[in-house]
Amino acid sequence: MKHIKYIALLIIVSVITSCSSDFLEPAPDSGITADTYFSNADEVQTGIIAIYDAWQGVNSTSLDDNHSVQYEFYLTEMRSDNTRTKSQEGEAAQFEFYNVEATNGIVENYYSSMYNTIFRTNIVLDNLGVIENADTALTFEAEAKFNRALAYFNLVRLYGDVPLIDRIISPLDTEVQYTRVATSTIYGLIVSDLTTAISGLNNAYKTRASKAAAQALLAKVYLTIGEYSLAQGLCEDVMASGFSLEPNFNDVFYKERNSEIIFAIGYEPALSSDSQNFSSEWMNGVGRTSGVNYVTNDVIAALDVFGGNRTQYSYRNDVSQITQNQVAKYLPNGESGGADGKTFINDATLAGNDWIVLRYADVLLMHVEAILAGGNETINGQALSSFQKVRDRAGLTTTVTIVTKDALLLERRVELAFENHRLFDLIRFERAESVLSAFSAANGLGYSSSDLLLPIPQREINLSKGLMSQNAGY
Amino acid sequence: MLMLMLTVNITLMAQDSFSITGTVVSATDSSPIPGVSIIIKGTSKGASSDFDGNFVLDVKQGDVLTFSFLGFKTQAVTVANNQALAISLVEDTSVLDEVVVIGYGTSKKSHLTGSISKIVNEDLDQIAVSRVDDALIGQVSGVNIQATDGEAGAAPTISIRGVGSMAGDSTPLIVVDGVIVDSDFLGSLNMNDVQSFEILKDAASSSIYGSKGANGIIMISMKPGIEGKTRINYSTYVGFKEARQSDAYTFSIAETAAAELAANGVLSDRTKYKQLIGIDRSWQDVIFDGGMITSHSLSLRGGNDKTKWATSVNYSDDEGVLLTDNFTKYGMRLKLDTKLNEKFSFGASFSPSYTERRRFDGSTHDILRQTNWLPVYHDANTIQFVDRSIYPDVQIGDYATQRHFDNYDLYGDGSTLVDISNTSNTNPAAKILERERYDKKFKLFSSFYGQYQITDDLTFKSMASGSYQDTKRSRWQGVLSNRNGASAASMDEGSQRSIYLISDNFLNYNKSIDKHDISATLGVVFESTDEFFSSISGTGYTNDGVKQITNAATISNADAFEWKKNGISYVSRFNYAFDNKYLASISLRRDGSSIFGSEYKYGNFPAASIGWNISKESFLEDSDVVNNLKIRASYGVTGNDRLNTGSVDPDSSSSTSSLSTGDKLVDFYPSLALLSATTASVNGALLSGFSPLNIANPELKWERLVEINPGIDFGFYNNKISGSIDWYQRTSDQLLLNNPVSYTTGFSNALVNLGEVKNEGFEFELRTKNISTEDFSWNSTVIATTNKNTLVDFADSNGQIQNIDAKRAAEWINLEGMPISTYYGWVVDRDIPLEYLNNAYHPVGGEAQDVYVKDLNGDGLIDDEDKAPLGDPYPDLIWSFTNEFNVGNIDFSFMFQGSHGAEIRNMGDQYIFNQFNSGQDFNPATTPDQDFIKQKIFTDDIIQDASYIALRNLNIGYTFSEDVLSKLKISKLRVYAAGQNLIYKTADDYTGFNPESIDRTGPTTYGYQRAGSPIYSTISFGLSADF
Repeated sequence: MKHIKYIALLIIVSVITSCSSDFLEPAPDSGITADTYFSNADEVQTGIIAIYDAWQGVNSTSLDDNHSVQYEFYLTEMRSDNTRTKSQEGEAAQFEFYNVEATNGIVENYYSSMYNTIFRTNIVLDNLGVIENADTALTFEAEAKFNRALAYFNLVRLYGDVPLIDRIISPLDTEVQYTRVATSTIYGLIVSDLTTAISGLNNAYKTRASKAAAQALLAKVYLTIGEYSLAQGLCEDVMASGFSLEPNFNDVFYKERNSEIIFAIGYEPALSSDSQNFSSEWMNGVGRTSGVNYVTNDVIAALDVFGGNRTQYSYRNDVSQITQNQVAKYLPNGESGGADGKTFINDATLAGNDWIVLRYADVLLMHVEAILAGGNETINGQALSSFQKVRDRAGLTTTVTIVTKDALLLERRVELAFENHRLFDLIRFERAESVLSAFSAANGLGYSSSDLLLPIPQREINLSKGLMSQNAGY
Repeated sequence: MLMLMLTVNITLMAQDSFSITGTVVSATDSSPIPGVSIIIKGTSKGASSDFDGNFVLDVKQGDVLTFSFLGFKTQAVTVANNQALAISLVEDTSVLDEVVVIGYGTSKKSHLTGSISKIVNEDLDQIAVSRVDDALIGQVSGVNIQATDGEAGAAPTISIRGVGSMAGDSTPLIVVDGVIVDSDFLGSLNMNDVQSFEILKDAASSSIYGSKGANGIIMISMKPGIEGKTRINYSTYVGFKEARQSDAYTFSIAETAAAELAANGVLSDRTKYKQLIGIDRSWQDVIFDGGMITSHSLSLRGGNDKTKWATSVNYSDDEGVLLTDNFTKYGMRLKLDTKLNEKFSFGASFSPSYTERRRFDGSTHDILRQTNWLPVYHDANTIQFVDRSIYPDVQIGDYATQRHFDNYDLYGDGSTLVDISNTSNTNPAAKILERERYDKKFKLFSSFYGQYQITDDLTFKSMASGSYQDTKRSRWQGVLSNRNGASAASMDEGSQRSIYLISDNFLNYNKSIDKHDISATLGVVFESTDEFFSSISGTGYTNDGVKQITNAATISNADAFEWKKNGISYVSRFNYAFDNKYLASISLRRDGSSIFGSEYKYGNFPAASIGWNISKESFLEDSDVVNNLKIRASYGVTGNDRLNTGSVDPDSSSSTSSLSTGDKLVDFYPSLALLSATTASVNGALLSGFSPLNIANPELKWERLVEINPGIDFGFYNNKISGSIDWYQRTSDQLLLNNPVSYTTGFSNALVNLGEVKNEGFEFELRTKNISTEDFSWNSTVIATTNKNTLVDFADSNGQIQNIDAKRAAEWINLEGMPISTYYGWVVDRDIPLEYLNNAYHPVGGEAQDVYVKDLNGDGLIDDEDKAPLGDPYPDLIWSFTNEFNVGNIDFSFMFQGSHGAEIRNMGDQYIFNQFNSGQDFNPATTPDQDFIKQKIFTDDIIQDASYIALRNLNIGYTFSEDVLSKLKISKLRVYAAGQNLIYKTADDYTGFNPESIDRTGPTTYGYQRAGSPIYSTISFGLSADF
């Protein structure tokens, strides 16, 4: 075996590249993977932050990016009698004319945004097992479930029956992606998630989930599905949690995290990754559009008569185009825009105004609604008291002795104008048909009862290959 | 004692040996055969015949001399006396026993059962092209090499047997001397160093490369060292290149003015003004500035019976036909093989190269749409038209822009101020000349092997090889390149470093027992890829002085990214031949790759093939007519693992892969659930989070290709007529696609396996020796390939309509039953009469932007329902016809080559004919039937026949006779003149300048030409000398 040294050399050459067990699974050097990343509570918490990142939406002008609540006004206020586009043209005008197409990119964007948020909540829920402290795990579960419930609540109110995704799915699980689940089943998940949330959360945050936020949200869910007494109890829980109305109505929108805020989506100015652009879109040609969410004469009439001191803080005349009126809540970074109303010191498209999802006035009015319990009027003292508090802050201090359903609806309209409540309120109060029919007839719009639900995005219908049915009227 | 013995020995030899001379000729035509190897059997002593077939050798009585030469039967002659030998070698009826490289081994050609074509480099190195792949056009059936980019140094698009992958990369695998290299190496190899190409076409042949084999394989053998006297070769050529211009895109102010005068009786003010400026020329003359290519190559090869070596050095400079494009290449090579003893051998090779490519940093369509009257620089005449109120500082010698010529007081009385500009852009020539874009690449591939002969039949070989690439890309946009001047001057820099390491370890067994020939191969391969990219940009310079990032006012877009990919493969193959008649081969490769999902990391790639040499049967053995007849059939499975090359495309600023998600991390690790850092505002503070980037697909697996390939090889009349016919059907399925998925997954797209594409066709090769005498020979070769591409299954995406440019959203449809990338749109009915255009004569050479289209479904309106498939970008037939003549010392050859049945979407028409001027729009007030009008770009108006017939190569050479050369101490000298594309005929309806030019888009939106880059002709002169 004189050749042994050569053989040894050959063997060395051949094994030199031999592999360790993870040879075929090299970890990325330039990124991290979910499979290996979540290993402790701190890391799961970064997954929770990602949920709020999803709620913020991407501040861009591309419809390929999820804009989440930044685009919510299109689907809610602009489908009510409160707002419209300034130009009354283009895809965005489909909402105010009640001729929304199933291919509408904004409809698609919101659907996509909500499921992206849900996906992020499911990631957190899937990784709770790595958390050693049981209380922390419970809190994180509660927080994820609050957010999942909020996303589903928005989906179910806007689109009706929707697919129910409560776990991480692969792209190949096509059946669950395209099976529309009955609204009642979705509400079952929402109620269960929020119940979990209430038991696991405290009131430490205003721009993260809190116990009060979960209670207020569940109260609204119960009002929507007609569980009035449960709703009343939850409202009273929130009312006992130390929130109060801001004395000055304007401060509600320009003092971040004020005493009235229960839950808001946080934004920071000047940072493209954490700011919002809806404030600029509502101005005259400041954002991508020439102006959207412009105020209708219909809501002006209501505000002017019933708004009290809220009116001046709710809308304003567009000084660049004096026949038009703009929303005055959420002016970009609180700036007025100078003499022409569109010249801002700070970049208006990178606005930092937080978006309010739940505030105390809403809860007080929900309290009235819960006691009204679907009836036409009430003289219940607790109801009158809650109602009076909201009116008093608006400078309308005349003592109220009876609250009718329509008075409550009107009060909600002027109190919560342009905060994306009006359409849902009309539906919940069963006034959508009568109010929107009349509004449509008066303004030459195309309302019909099937317009109360948005279409399922056509793309989803196409991808489902017949599995998914479209909502009536589309 | 030792000394004594040596002395005795030498004395004995001296006594016995004598010098013998002789001549070797061919038995067929008595022509002398140069280069015949003559060896004294049992020794390493020998000689080779010279140019006239003569040889001289010292021999002893009783020595047995073996005469061998490729293509002839080896002859043995025993030396009886010192009389001159007259040897006539009998032609081996075949090239049959030619040895063919088959991937991890070799095979006799007569034993092949798959479809493998071999091209020996006889005079490919005399084609004046700077890339080896450009020289292969028309050389082999089933291979389509298309000059999709006419810039100097740009890679052509190579596809073997059609396009089967959606993954974007249909380039075959390139293997150089057993080392797998990036296809980009085809641009750095020196053709002069290449011995031969073997193209593995069917899946049974290429499945030995498993997951890399689906696009076919080009195996390149470099010239090895040779035993005996050192041979030195010097080759050089110089070529002159000229672009083929488009006549359709050439128009003049004079012609337009004549048409206007004929139609209207008067000239418009604008036309008058244009004539006044006095410039009337085609921008094609400006940007197609012609080019010159030069090449020098010096190689030395030598060695003895133990050690052989080859080395070379080369330089070439290729100035392209476009303005500024240039490709310079420097390379060297060293290859060494040595036998330590009877059992061990070692070898190494080392090939560094450096290439520097200056790009044409612009777009031909952007320049050619410029108006005829615009000068490049102002001169004494043109300066007087400048609107001094706006441009007070413009001087003679400055770049002219269209806006300079506005507000001209045509009649000198202030009555008419004429505007003629279309654009505020700077001068189009400035956009090219004031930019400098370079790709500078250093490449190295090298290998080291050791081989051990375990027994006479069993060999173990281990090879460690690797390639290294380092590329620096820079793009300077100077102060004058942009209408916004110095503040917009910018520099972009990127660097890319790739390291690819591979270890092959193989056992080879070869045994012949009686009539049984057995060979078996067993091996394991490890491979690893590591790539690093970085890029940075700078904007805002004060001047063109220092073109470096550090001088920029703003530095941005700093980015760095690294990724790894590993693989393990197990390879086995078993070949069997009985009596040289009955042949069989089976192989199995098992590949593991890190890029696929955890459950699908491994894929199996089996293949089997059989063959029957009918001509070896007794009933044909003595046939005068049939001397070779083989039928064969193969079946094989291969894969495609090149899925993530898309998002970081080395030579394109944009992604070319439909797999690209826009995020590098996702593109490179598609089976993993990936996270990226994010932030959210919580109670007024930013908290960091990690949000998901993608939806992981753990079930991601290989693209798979299954192919069946029956074929016949034939040779008649002593191989005067020979060739082969193949039919193939390749079915690719489990295609990797970045496909839309339901939003409920949380995302809009995910990488999935779906769909099926089929390619089928015939391949035909016919070689004839029409005349072969001592003084004159004439050989012909006909090569033809047909291919039909069909999308068989596209699952959820069936009928998917895509466009690649939202502003010019011409559509492609991918519909089952039709070819992938089928053009889609309306069908032209008739043109809009000129009278309805706003101004048919401005701009010069303009054509209507719109056209009437057909209401296909007859419902009285034009909508999506009236769109129809309009053709596809894949040729149905490609062919070549080659003739070679030898008359005495003169040789002459030419090749015609053609392609038929492909269509191209020529978006160049819109730019160049419409020039974006409202003059060519129809008048909405007067034009009838406006509901039936659509833009031409959405119709078949711009779907044009991409067929062509070209005189690809023409070569005339003269080989000097030896008596002339011997004085110069040159053993062989050939001088030649050659031409490429001297004739290039396109279809009548094609308006552009290169029907082969195709923009880089995804495979589902293929066939887009935005004017592109021109085909060009080359006339070159060269010489090759052996010393």
